[in-house]
Amino acid sequence: MIRFVDIWKSFGGKAVLRGMSLEVKDGEVMFIIGTSGVGKSVTIKLLIGLLGVDRGEIWVDELRVDTLPERDLYPVRKRIGMVFQNATLFDSLDLAENVALPLRKHKGMRQRDALAEAERRLAQVGMAEFAHRYPAELSDGMRKRAAIARTLTLDPEVVLFDEPTTGLDPLSARRIDRLIRTLSDEVGVTSIVVSHDLTSIFSIADRIAFLYQGVVHMVGTPDDFRGSGDPVVQQFITGRSQGEMETPGF
Amino acid sequence: MSPPLPSLGLRRRVERVGAAVLDGMDAGFELARTFGATVRGVFRSQRPPGEVLAQMYVIGNKSLLFVAVTLGFIGMVMVYQSCLQLNRITGDLSQVGPEFLKLLIQEFGPSITALMLATRVGAGIAAEIGSMKVTEQVDALRMSGVTPIDYLITPRFIASVIMTGVMTVFAVLIAFAAGGLTAASSFGVNANTFFDPGRVRVFDIALGAIKTLSYGMAIPVISGFCGLRARGSSEGVGAATTAAVIGSSLAVIVLNFIISGTGLLLLGDGR
Repeated sequence: MIRFVDIWKSFGGKAVLRGMSLEVKDGEVMFIIGTSGVGKSVTIKLLIGLLGVDRGEIWVDELRVDTLPERDLYPVRKRIGMVFQNATLFDSLDLAENVALPLRKHKGMRQRDALAEAERRLAQVGMAEFAHRYPAELSDGMRKRAAIARTLTLDPEVVLFDEPTTGLDPLSARRIDRLIRTLSDEVGVTSIVVSHDLTSIFSIADRIAFLYQGVVHMVGTPDDFRGSGDPVVQQFITGRSQGEMETPGF
Repeated sequence: MSPPLPSLGLRRRVERVGAAVLDGMDAGFELARTFGATVRGVFRSQRPPGEVLAQMYVIGNKSLLFVAVTLGFIGMVMVYQSCLQLNRITGDLSQVGPEFLKLLIQEFGPSITALMLATRVGAGIAAEIGSMKVTEQVDALRMSGVTPIDYLITPRFIASVIMTGVMTVFAVLIAFAAGGLTAASSFGVNANTFFDPGRVRVFDIALGAIKTLSYGMAIPVISGFCGLRARGSSEGVGAATTAAVIGSSLAVIVLNFIISGTGLLLLGDGR
């Protein structure tokens, strides 16, 4: 169980999260949705200490993680993996070396063993034949699949996906959706997915949290959202430009 | 009766100055922590294999021509001007070479080489690390169990310390040779008279070595620190690069003053 309790976070004096609270159950696929800049990516980065909270508490089971120093966050990051929006593979390493890096650092595996395991993990996402290619030689979709392999290589209990299907063709996007669903159904992995992709959201989410004005405006199943009479929720999920929703910058 | 409250405009200006001072102090402490973590990283083994050698190539080999041309011309101009002035006053050019070598070793060789490296190498380090920061690669490193300072700054630190030393020796030799050629061709100074290391003392070499070591440590730490503080997108990387060049160059000048001043206070001029 992951719990965000009354989270506040500001950047340069601008409050992004203003008392946000949310619970994510074990094994579920939770989507966090909302307009750009509302704090979706910030929320998942706060969970693993890549950003610090201004106020509030974050709990992973019985462990409070928002107060942990960097060194004590490493075991947490072994349990909670993250797939970043921009693949974030290291340009100077080939795919196998990229995937092997967390195995060497988190699990202390020897380079040769880590590389063998990395190649096996790349095969799971259909990237075995590209194991010794460099990120610059591959497409966005391929890089993203390799980044997923790198995250899954530590067998995390929770995986955070930051806009995993952004910039991908529909076929690659649905493959990633299927992978997220399979991780939850077959391995029991909890997934927290930040996304704007309504097809993904309504096809694989167990629950959805809608962030609006710094707080969770609504949490529910896809059916709850479809049937919601809330005009702000309806405007967001139907993508109407006119309505009650306040969109900063427009 | 209570004193009148300051106007809102004045209060905002004071707040802004206060915030800038606090930010500056915060950055200073963070830079000191980065330096400490970098030095500790030298004794850990989190560096990517072969990275120190790769960085030595980038810092050394790729700066060779830049440093050679700069120091060569500076050597020629300085010797030419010195000979010109001495000719007008005493006409005795016998001490130009030995004094020039002394000055090169303890002052111009380390400092000008470091200023060249601060611009070329400092900008490169900040741009590379800054790009990794804004594209979340640094976050990905942290998620992979890697300390970014160990992985990114420490290899550059080791390479910089070694190559700043090598480049300084190379620069001193180039400047001295260029100066000697100028003295011989323009003023007829005998090569044996010019290329005389007799005036150089251990003090000069020690001072030059301390400066070289300090510059070699300061440039990658300041530049890497600026890179890790990059925010936003390409604009943030540009700002980090500019800050790295200014910070590294300023550090060279300030360190030069401090080390020279301390050396002279403790040991006189070493004669």
